[in-house]
Amino acid sequence: MTLDRARFDQGLTYDAYKAQMTRNRERLEENEKRADLDREDLAAFRALPRPVKVVVLAEDWCGDVIANLPVLGRLAKESGKLDVRIFLRDQNDDIMQRYLNKGQFKSIPVFVFLDEDFRELGHWIERPASVTEIRAKRRKDIFAAHPEFGSPDAPVDALPEEVRVRLQGELAKMRDETTKFANAEVVRELREIATRVAA
Amino acid sequence: MTAARKVRITYCAECGYEPQTLDLAKALMLEFGARLSSIELIPWEGGTFEVSVDGQLIHSMGRDGGFPDNSAIKEAVRARLSA
Repeated sequence: MTLDRARFDQGLTYDAYKAQMTRNRERLEENEKRADLDREDLAAFRALPRPVKVVVLAEDWCGDVIANLPVLGRLAKESGKLDVRIFLRDQNDDIMQRYLNKGQFKSIPVFVFLDEDFRELGHWIERPASVTEIRAKRRKDIFAAHPEFGSPDAPVDALPEEVRVRLQGELAKMRDETTKFANAEVVRELREIATRVAA
Repeated sequence: MTAARKVRITYCAECGYEPQTLDLAKALMLEFGARLSSIELIPWEGGTFEVSVDGQLIHSMGRDGGFPDNSAIKEAVRARLSA
């Protein structure tokens, strides 16, 4: 499998991807609006010496795509330096096989950064490890503060419905409260890869 | 006469597990009809796919790995119906 000009051009632009979404478009666009880009980060992307191409693997049912692709979309739009092409994971298994998470999982989104000659600068998968870590800790804290939620490892269907609904609310609140941190971490990691492009 | 049984399927709604959930629910409906008292579908998160019968967990993606084989779930339900 080669990521070359011909293959790259087969991908969907960010707007074309949004247009073909069959679900979660509202959530994605809400996240796009909420992605608060730091001025200094944006300046670093704008200062890239050459444009960078980004091949993306995505599907519209995936929560990490809905959370993180809009951050890339905003960076591309506001920097003018990222040329993004999106491929549907389940129709592009050859690309997916090359970027399996830990060599085995088809985690998405995948962002592959390429220079103008289609040499890979680096790639990014799913979400920052720091985000997984902080959310796991916050989840643990929620269960510790609410004994009625039982064990974090127990099947959730054993909880009475009204307890389950409250747990769902607490988890949604936690995700909301950690979104700003998560977006900043995504930007930090993408910036680190994109700025490897040579002048 | 066997007692009616309740099946719950908890699935990760963020992950797009609806097709597998609906396939399993349909398989159970067609196989057991009114011998089940209810089939409850619980949209959840975090990569969950769990199936329980009368509160007893018979498949967990986290514990057992992957989606269950529908025929194995039907077999487990059948065993409880005849218990």
